[in-house]
Amino acid sequence: MNAHQSVGIVMIEDDEGHARLIEKNIRRAGILNEIRHFTDGTSALDYIFNDPVGPALSGPALILLDLNLPDMSGTDILTRIKNSDGPVKRTPVVVLTTTDDAREIQRCYDLGANVYITKPVNYESFAQAIRQLGLFLSVIQVPDLDGAN
Amino acid sequence: MSTPRFLLPPEGKIAPRLTALLVPGFLALLAAGGGAAWVTRQNQIHTRAVVHTYEVEKAVLEVRRVIEEVEATRRGALLAPATAAYREGYHRAAAELPQRLATLARLTADNPRQRDNLARLQLQLGTLAQRRAETMALVERGDQRGAFAGFRADTEATSMRAVRFLMNHMAAEERRLLAIRDRELRVTERAFYAVLVLAAVLLLALAVIALLTVLAYTRDLARSRDATQALADSLEEMVAERTEDLTRANEEIQRFAYIVSHDLRSPLVNVMGFTAELEAATGQLGALVDKVEAEAPQLLSEDAKLSAREDLPEAIGFIRASTQKMDRLINAILQLSRQGRRQLAPERIDLAQLVGQIRDTLTHRLADADATLEVAGALPEVISDRFSLDQVFSNLIENAVKYLRPGVPGRITVSGRREAQRVIYAIADNGRGIDPRDHARVFDLFRRSGAQDKPGEGIGLATVRALVFRLGGAINVESNLGQGAVFTLSLPSTLELQGKSE
Repeated sequence: MNAHQSVGIVMIEDDEGHARLIEKNIRRAGILNEIRHFTDGTSALDYIFNDPVGPALSGPALILLDLNLPDMSGTDILTRIKNSDGPVKRTPVVVLTTTDDAREIQRCYDLGANVYITKPVNYESFAQAIRQLGLFLSVIQVPDLDGAN
Repeated sequence: MSTPRFLLPPEGKIAPRLTALLVPGFLALLAAGGGAAWVTRQNQIHTRAVVHTYEVEKAVLEVRRVIEEVEATRRGALLAPATAAYREGYHRAAAELPQRLATLARLTADNPRQRDNLARLQLQLGTLAQRRAETMALVERGDQRGAFAGFRADTEATSMRAVRFLMNHMAAEERRLLAIRDRELRVTERAFYAVLVLAAVLLLALAVIALLTVLAYTRDLARSRDATQALADSLEEMVAERTEDLTRANEEIQRFAYIVSHDLRSPLVNVMGFTAELEAATGQLGALVDKVEAEAPQLLSEDAKLSAREDLPEAIGFIRASTQKMDRLINAILQLSRQGRRQLAPERIDLAQLVGQIRDTLTHRLADADATLEVAGALPEVISDRFSLDQVFSNLIENAVKYLRPGVPGRITVSGRREAQRVIYAIADNGRGIDPRDHARVFDLFRRSGAQDKPGEGIGLATVRALVFRLGGAINVESNLGQGAVFTLSLPSTLELQGKSE
């Protein structure tokens, strides 16, 4: 349970409304982990790789990634994360976006996405998906940082 | 790529140009030929004239010879009267003379001068002949002395000189005529050669010009042929370019529709999400109002009660319904755009089987609507995209089931026939029909016709038309209100994939 508590959530989502809804539903699911919200790819990547408390230098994390970002494509961020060296490479990435195009989903999994969730307009199923994500968060195993370093 | 130049061969120019060259050429040849004929004719005339001259000369000589002979034999007879040969010779020659003279007269009948000469000659000869006859008569009588005396006193020598002079004169006259004719002939010949040279020069010049013209024309032809070839090549290139442009434009539209629907969806997620949040909050608020009403009714105003119990849920209900509709519309656009991007896979399709499958899927709905779906006759096979065709037929048949006339058992018939390289399918029903004014509209996205008493967004027929277009086909509808509808579908019997579709 200690490891579970230490997992920080990095949310990369340019739409404030979406971010708020996601956060609300995560909280409703009973997940109390810290959530760091970024509205653009550049600052998110900076936090992930360079921030003293970011996933690269500090504790384990889970990344919630939107594919439509103002400054860069979500798939670029995914590629950067999955092709990097060190612990960030093993950070679980949940792609959360409006696209339900089969090829796009396939592409994300090919790039190393761990989970792909379509943001549905139907709010109930959306909330449901987020709650399932909370369930997912409670069972994932975080890689051993000491071993990685 | 350079703009193709339209270089047409100068066919319109070569014919008159060549004719303009040929006509003077033939005229020159005719002139040369005519000249030759004329010169030949002149030559013949001249030859005849020469012959005539020689004949006249000969005749003159003969006459002269005979005259001299007469004179000589007369003198012989005078000197030697005993010799009969002289006398005989005299008589023979004297008898010959008129004949010779007649010949000469005939030959010179055309020349007045010679006739004149001849007349004078005959005058002289007449006198001479008389003298001779007298002499000879004396000789024959044996009067040699008389004959001699006559001879001495005679003017015969003078006559003879005159005769000789006249004879010479006649011969000279003929020579003179011949010289004139010779000169004429030479002039004629010179003219002929001049004409010949002129014609030759003209022909040569024309030949050179014609050759140059033909060469230039050939060069023009070759050039225009090259230009035509280049044009044909560039045309193909242009067609390829345009096709590429069109494909690109189409892809652009597809991408645009895709992006738009995605970006429209994003704010919609918020609207829906926060509406749900509002709904949850309204629930809380309603509970609070209930509690306040029960515990402290004096705190609750009518307005607050109305807001919490009616206004808020109503507003939220409308927002929710609208967003749901908007979501469906966006999904429809998304679906259309996806279908446009789908890879088509042509295969042999048994339409009767396809309709059978659709009938199986719709069994319950057909039963509920009291409708039947049947295939009339044999449906021609088609090589096309199965998924697209399934969508097209499903949509059309579902529409037919959906828009039946209440109280009339539905009868939906699918028929088909082959027409050259195309197959025609017709889906006919006896339903409520479509107002002819709406025939074009029903195929537009989000457009519907008639009473809006059935659920739907006006997507089905738009999808059908888009799919049919993609399959290289066409669709149209024949219908009147209350008389059913016939949707006619025309497809290429074999779907050709054009280039690389996305």
